Amino acid sequence: MTYWNAKKRHDVTRLTAAAIAVAALLLPALSYAATPGITGTIFNLVASPIYITQPDGAMIYSWGYGCATGFTPSYLPPQFASVGFCRAGQVPGPTLIVTEGQTVTVNLTNNLPAPVGNTSIVFQGFQVTTGGGTPGLITSEAAHGGSVSYTFVATTPGTHAYYSGTKPDLQIEMGLYGAVVVKPNTVPAGCSAIGSDTQLLGHPDYRLAASAYDHPATCYDREYLFQFMELDPRIHKQAEQQVQAIASCVPTAGGLPCPTTLEVKTEPYHPSYYLINGRSMPDDMDADYAPNYPNQPYNGNPHMHPGDLVLVRTIGQGRWEHPFHEHGNHVRILARDGNLILSQTDSAKLGGRMEFTTDTYPGQSYDGIFYWSGKGLGWDIYGHTPANAGNPPCVPDSNGYYTAASGAPLSAPNYYEWCADHNHPLEANPVGHVGGGGPATLFDPLIAANGLWYNGTPYLGPDAVNRSRGPTPLPPVKSTMNPLEESGIAFMWHSHNEREITTNDVFPGGMLMMMLVDPPVFFIDETL
Amino acid sequence: MRKLFPVCLPILLVCLATTVPAQSNKAQGGGSFMVQCPTSTVWHPGSSVLGYDPTQQEGSYTGPKTVTETVNGVSLPYTLNGGAIKCQEISGGDGFMTEADGNQTFMFSFGPLSGMDAIKHGQPGTQFASVFNNHYNSPTLPSSPNSRNPTYDPSRPVSLNGAVADPAAIMTIGVLNGNLPMPLAAFDEDDEFFLTLSNVGMIMRPDLFEQHTVHFHGYPNASSFYDGVPDATWAINIGGSATYYYMAPDAGTYFYHCHITPPEHLQMGMVGQLYVRPRQNRVPVGTSLYSSLELQQTDLRTACNTGLAGQTAKDILCSTPLPGVNNGAIQQVDPFAGVDPRIPAGTPYKYAYNDGDASTRYDIDVPIQIHGFDPNFHFVGMTFNPEGFADMKDKYFLLNGRSYPDTVGVPGYAGGPSAGSSNPDSASRAIGTEDSDGLTRYSQPLPSLITLIQGERALLRLSDLDVTEYQTLASLGIPMQLVGFQAKLLRDQAGNNLPIVTNSVTLGGGESLDVILDSTGVAPGTYFLYTPNLDHLSNDAENFGGLMTEVQVCASASACTF
Repeated sequence: MTYWNAKKRHDVTRLTAAAIAVAALLLPALSYAATPGITGTIFNLVASPIYITQPDGAMIYSWGYGCATGFTPSYLPPQFASVGFCRAGQVPGPTLIVTEGQTVTVNLTNNLPAPVGNTSIVFQGFQVTTGGGTPGLITSEAAHGGSVSYTFVATTPGTHAYYSGTKPDLQIEMGLYGAVVVKPNTVPAGCSAIGSDTQLLGHPDYRLAASAYDHPATCYDREYLFQFMELDPRIHKQAEQQVQAIASCVPTAGGLPCPTTLEVKTEPYHPSYYLINGRSMPDDMDADYAPNYPNQPYNGNPHMHPGDLVLVRTIGQGRWEHPFHEHGNHVRILARDGNLILSQTDSAKLGGRMEFTTDTYPGQSYDGIFYWSGKGLGWDIYGHTPANAGNPPCVPDSNGYYTAASGAPLSAPNYYEWCADHNHPLEANPVGHVGGGGPATLFDPLIAANGLWYNGTPYLGPDAVNRSRGPTPLPPVKSTMNPLEESGIAFMWHSHNEREITTNDVFPGGMLMMMLVDPPVFFIDETL
Repeated sequence: MRKLFPVCLPILLVCLATTVPAQSNKAQGGGSFMVQCPTSTVWHPGSSVLGYDPTQQEGSYTGPKTVTETVNGVSLPYTLNGGAIKCQEISGGDGFMTEADGNQTFMFSFGPLSGMDAIKHGQPGTQFASVFNNHYNSPTLPSSPNSRNPTYDPSRPVSLNGAVADPAAIMTIGVLNGNLPMPLAAFDEDDEFFLTLSNVGMIMRPDLFEQHTVHFHGYPNASSFYDGVPDATWAINIGGSATYYYMAPDAGTYFYHCHITPPEHLQMGMVGQLYVRPRQNRVPVGTSLYSSLELQQTDLRTACNTGLAGQTAKDILCSTPLPGVNNGAIQQVDPFAGVDPRIPAGTPYKYAYNDGDASTRYDIDVPIQIHGFDPNFHFVGMTFNPEGFADMKDKYFLLNGRSYPDTVGVPGYAGGPSAGSSNPDSASRAIGTEDSDGLTRYSQPLPSLITLIQGERALLRLSDLDVTEYQTLASLGIPMQLVGFQAKLLRDQAGNNLPIVTNSVTLGGGESLDVILDSTGVAPGTYFLYTPNLDHLSNDAENFGGLMTEVQVCASASACTF
């Protein structure tokens, strides 16, 4: 809380609410993510009115897709089977995980209040046939209390959006959107099948598949799905009030009849919440399926080990673009809307761009690969020093990293270290048990403020943090967000339309998360 | 709560600053200002190893060289690729600027504390160690020619581009000297870059005890420690200095900005430009560019190796793929060197990236940063009121901190101020604003007038740090060749160049790209860069302002206004 409490920008009520929200919701310290969802070939969904919560304490009336009564879905990754839930409505809707080539049927029942009228789903990138329902402009719709079914073949792997095709300016804003993830039906040469990925160092495998596409250049070790949405609370308030007013309306004798449909104005559009997976920071840092968000089960809280290839699946669900800045490294774009981008002259090679700020466009998805290895820093990220006895070795593989290919045990505390910088000092003067001789003189820690995710040193891992703390270690390395046993290094991932990292005018909030690069010795349990 | 100690704080700061002596290159206890720029490091050990003096020059790039350095008595291997030790110092504080409609606007901003003469003249403030360590010494204050500099030492020679290292001088010169954009930084691959940030406080907002940081936006394989995100690392308090240290990353157009409360500090002006020049610029004249790029493949750090069996994707972010074909391009002297007064005689060609085929060759660097100011937010920020974020609405649209016509406000240029103008300053072209202490400081040093002798290629290093919306910049008449995107060459993994010829580019906040404007065959005359976001072609209530500048193509050097 180092500098948040230092901000005195806002009226006391709002600040207090935010501080309480931040304090309360940051307490469940360690929580991670993956791409959780439900799997199968038949999904019985329902659209329902729900409330979602925001970190300023707001309860926002919304509409969400959820699981129909009596439908018991299977959860993926399997580690989420015991914690997963699928209620009658959630924002975003359930992530539907299917396999390339499967025929998928989605049966949708409309349990929205009668004045809302019809609703529907369109599936971007698929040829859909509909059954039942009532005709709508762009797809068949489910009338109030009625049902409709959609069937499509999951032809292309990748990440796809689904969302309401009925009054979309209102219904998507209200929360009727979600994602379809199509897994490739092969394991490309060179990719590691589920459960056999050495890079995971013997830890559980939370991937949905061995690769993002049927292509060896799309292998990955870890994955996250982020759905971006901005939210204008005035629209939600109008809908809530009109639904209530219509329900309680008694026609006056000889007077005006009660209205039967909503007349919600969606312009001028003035969002003040900026959501990733339905949550604003810091709520997005709590666990998937955390019980305090019964209708917002998905989080945004990426973690990785050095060298992990992290598949980032992203969908722009709102009407605005959001430039999402991934601190730490570039992202190689693999595909847009499920279409793999390859070189025009060599289909074995990727053709997508490398971007440090990835644009999310309305309705568009992209898949990209992020990694971080510390290559080229010029100093040893583990704080090894030449004089320090007991250093683990760093034997470079053909890429220059210390991996199983060059004899590293999976338990090596410096697995995937960039060996060219091994033992190279950063600090000009010795601090703690880290020797000097490097280029940089560090500042006196007493004249700086420290962040919640700061491990107190430049280095990675509890061993390095312990050795490199000077006589006045700051912070006390008791940060709940990055405790001593973790001692990761953190990179902020956030919208670079910076006003979107606020929650209803309070900073910090909105579209903001922290990517923790954790030391290999730290087990990343994505279900926590 | 917010108005505690409005008077005491600045006094306290000055006391703190003046009671602790500062020395360069050395740590000191107690905390305070400390400027560092070493003259020798393990990566740049000196001319006996490198063959040139890395504190005052670059060497040629002739491939990686493995040497053994002794650190604390132990031998360690290092792979050296040349480069130099370069340093820069900036203040973090506040300042004022003038909008194109005359509105004087308060900023949170970074100002120059080294390379000050270069910054004022629109040049990068980054200096070799030998220049930086020849500390600033001038009888007048840097931006106020008629003022006396109380920290001037007449016994020392005048030095205009050295660092301000004395704590009293840091306060005297640093307070209110914020620039927009913040001081331009530019250096070469393989350089070590030491950026010292001295937090001088925001004297117009004495209620705030804000830290500031520097985020090097887009650095590949960045370190969290030097990433400038206050949540993830440290942030320097008022009255103290801290030095960011990086080996220069891969060549490209980056930018930097404060990362404290970004919607506020970026909107308020703490944004600037930073670019890294490629090794290819240092290839000796007459050498094959393709062969030189092959040399880079022999260094694992820059090699696009195919990876281990089963790990073909491990270099998925490789930045220097060889071109698909060797087109035989060789390094040569720029034919405009010595013809264009901005290019010294004998200067070889410059490139945006290590392309190996000269496809990103250019003659003139044109760093342009897009930004937007919401005058209401700035007014609220100056007058101690709570700021709203969702309502933020930019009404000034800025190229390098100026709107049209100030973007072409070059004394002596057609339609601009007269040749003898003092504001903009005729010698430097910087725009000054009279601050609350009565001193005029040249806080907007960068016009965006692009001047090309017919045949020259300009590299537009475009970045956008607007915090509210996407902005488009279009070129009327001269096609844009988009060759780089977000500090990476536009080339697929198979080595095919993927440039895009277009007449407009769109950037969101936090994005950059590289556009070449080739004036070959372009008739002499005036061309426009402007935004088709038509509401951005305004200075608040004024029409035909905002995001617009001019490209001047001349038949010869003598016909140009440089």
